[in-house]
Amino acid sequence: MSTTVEQPPAAEAPMEPERHGPVAWLTTTDHKKIGIMYCVTAFAFFLVGGALADMIRTELAEPGRQVVSTQTYNTLFTIHGTVMIFLFVAPFGAGLANYLIPLQIGAPDMAFPRLNALSYWFFVGGGALVLLSSFASAGGGAAMGWTAYTPLSEARMSPGVGPDLWILGIALVAIATLLTGVNILTTVFLLRAPGMTMWRLPIFTWNMVVTALLGLVAFPPAVAAFALLLVDRRLGGHAFDPLGGGDPVIYQHLFWFLGHPEVYILILPVFGVVTEIIPVFSRKPLFGYAGFVLATLAIGALSTGVWAHHMFTTGAVDNPFFSAMTLLIAVPTGVKFFNWIGSMWQGKIRMAVPMLFAVGFMANFLIGGVTGVMLASPPIDFQVADSYFLVAHFHYTMMGGAVFGIFAAIYFWHPKMTGRMLSERLGRLVFALLFVGFNLTFWPQFVVGMRGMPRRIVDYATGLGFDTPNLVSTIGAGVLTLGVLVFLFDVWHARRHPVLAGDDPWGGYSLEWATTSPPPERNFAALPKIRSERPAFDLHHPDVKP
Amino acid sequence: MRTASRLLWVLSGFAFALGTLYWFLTYETTGTVLLWMLALMPLIVATWIWRRGLVSAQLTEDDPEADPGAHPGQVIGSFPLDSAWPIFAVLGVITAGASLVYGLILLPPGLALLAYAIYGLMRESRQ
Repeated sequence: MSTTVEQPPAAEAPMEPERHGPVAWLTTTDHKKIGIMYCVTAFAFFLVGGALADMIRTELAEPGRQVVSTQTYNTLFTIHGTVMIFLFVAPFGAGLANYLIPLQIGAPDMAFPRLNALSYWFFVGGGALVLLSSFASAGGGAAMGWTAYTPLSEARMSPGVGPDLWILGIALVAIATLLTGVNILTTVFLLRAPGMTMWRLPIFTWNMVVTALLGLVAFPPAVAAFALLLVDRRLGGHAFDPLGGGDPVIYQHLFWFLGHPEVYILILPVFGVVTEIIPVFSRKPLFGYAGFVLATLAIGALSTGVWAHHMFTTGAVDNPFFSAMTLLIAVPTGVKFFNWIGSMWQGKIRMAVPMLFAVGFMANFLIGGVTGVMLASPPIDFQVADSYFLVAHFHYTMMGGAVFGIFAAIYFWHPKMTGRMLSERLGRLVFALLFVGFNLTFWPQFVVGMRGMPRRIVDYATGLGFDTPNLVSTIGAGVLTLGVLVFLFDVWHARRHPVLAGDDPWGGYSLEWATTSPPPERNFAALPKIRSERPAFDLHHPDVKP
Repeated sequence: MRTASRLLWVLSGFAFALGTLYWFLTYETTGTVLLWMLALMPLIVATWIWRRGLVSAQLTEDDPEADPGAHPGQVIGSFPLDSAWPIFAVLGVITAGASLVYGLILLPPGLALLAYAIYGLMRESRQ
């Protein structure tokens, strides 16, 4: 059943009663429920990926074999990487986008609600297949790394149905991303409230526009690569198999044409989150709104031209071109840091939990970014390629960056989504445990990487300087796990002992803070006049000139 | 739609220029084709917007002085409340896809389920 939605009047109007129960959730096309389901499902995948990481760290705590076989270890890091990248960080961003974009632009829902539900279920189906591809598959699980490089992922090197299920699962997740991208762009381009011009869009929404565009242009080549790989494996093709005249380097081109923009598909939503939080907790407008938007656009555009910096050591690509493009992308990223620091500068900073996570994100991501600039230089890349230095760099951007941003988002918008506050005291404890645990885990990996420890190995020899850093790293992973457990307790505690949040507990700026917490079914009983990029602030402070 | 349209044109132009530069620097085919295809995708949408005359359309959302309360009752669109068909559609796709792994016997039920779900979605969207 559909309902026709009209522009809400300036005065308050009665809303339809909401439907509850499991069936209402499973069949919903409401963007808020789909957004929450995306976030909860993605977080469940995070717990799975985290458990796999703990098993990896336990195995590597000391030299010698502790827990798992070589094959199982290969499956562990394959599924860990796949789950964290494709099933946690990216879908969590999609969940936030689903929940927030219509609220932030004053729309009653996403432009295509059924398509929205379809993308969520594609994501769930794809995720289930990926998990199934790990240990529940006959003839061996997927164990070829999250990049599935050929010829390793060809049938003769990776037999069994695990890799096939992995390919199908990732293809479904890719379809989900494409559908979400179409929905986001259409919603933002066509469903904005009167007065919500493109240059008044909240930064989170702007970042999701660029993310959606990137998803739309970057995923199709990878889906084509996976389809050809499946043809190789199941139908006797030779697209990437050198024994049959195929070219594995083409697979790498197609994969990394997705793979590197994917890094920005993961991090741009988080940039948006942090940019929403920092001005609110600094009690200042965002410093350099237009510059920030242009920097986001520049990152999006440049990210399409850096894919082969992952292929420096193949000898089959033009290293200076990709090195230059990669160094160039550091410039708009640096602009963002200036924006964040400028927004905090001389502000009345409140170090509430979302702000703590936002600042933690900045510190961690800066280290990840600077080491990324180092890796953009081919001589350094040749030295540390496929070592733990790379693992540390990647986790400083993705875990220290994206995951800290996700926790910032959860603490910031949980009151809006549920009407209940998370505990400030427990939140500070979660932040402390995650920040200390994260740096304990991944800083030593820079050290062992520089000492030459290769990644993706189940064991290492003693006496090479790897022992102590690996032990410290494993202890750090334990601290991280404790932090996540405390966070889960915090969420449970907020459900059992609710502290009501009110409609705008933080003094937020964007439009979602101008409606109730949680918002009603079509979001707004009344829309305020939009006079600037801070409509909720303008509504609550009519005396301040925008 | 002026800003949105410009965004698509700029992305298309950037990708085309980058692809051309890449070709003359490397003579590498795969990357060049990828970049030129990247230029083509936003170009299709941008051209559609341009041909429909939407670039200069006066939309209230593009008017900085527009008041949401000034046009109460203006229809925004029709939005469904719920639908079970997406679940069936995804089950159909998974079953049909699994036929590549577990045998072609799964293909007919997968395609049938998918067709049934698409039919259901079409009927539902007309209500």
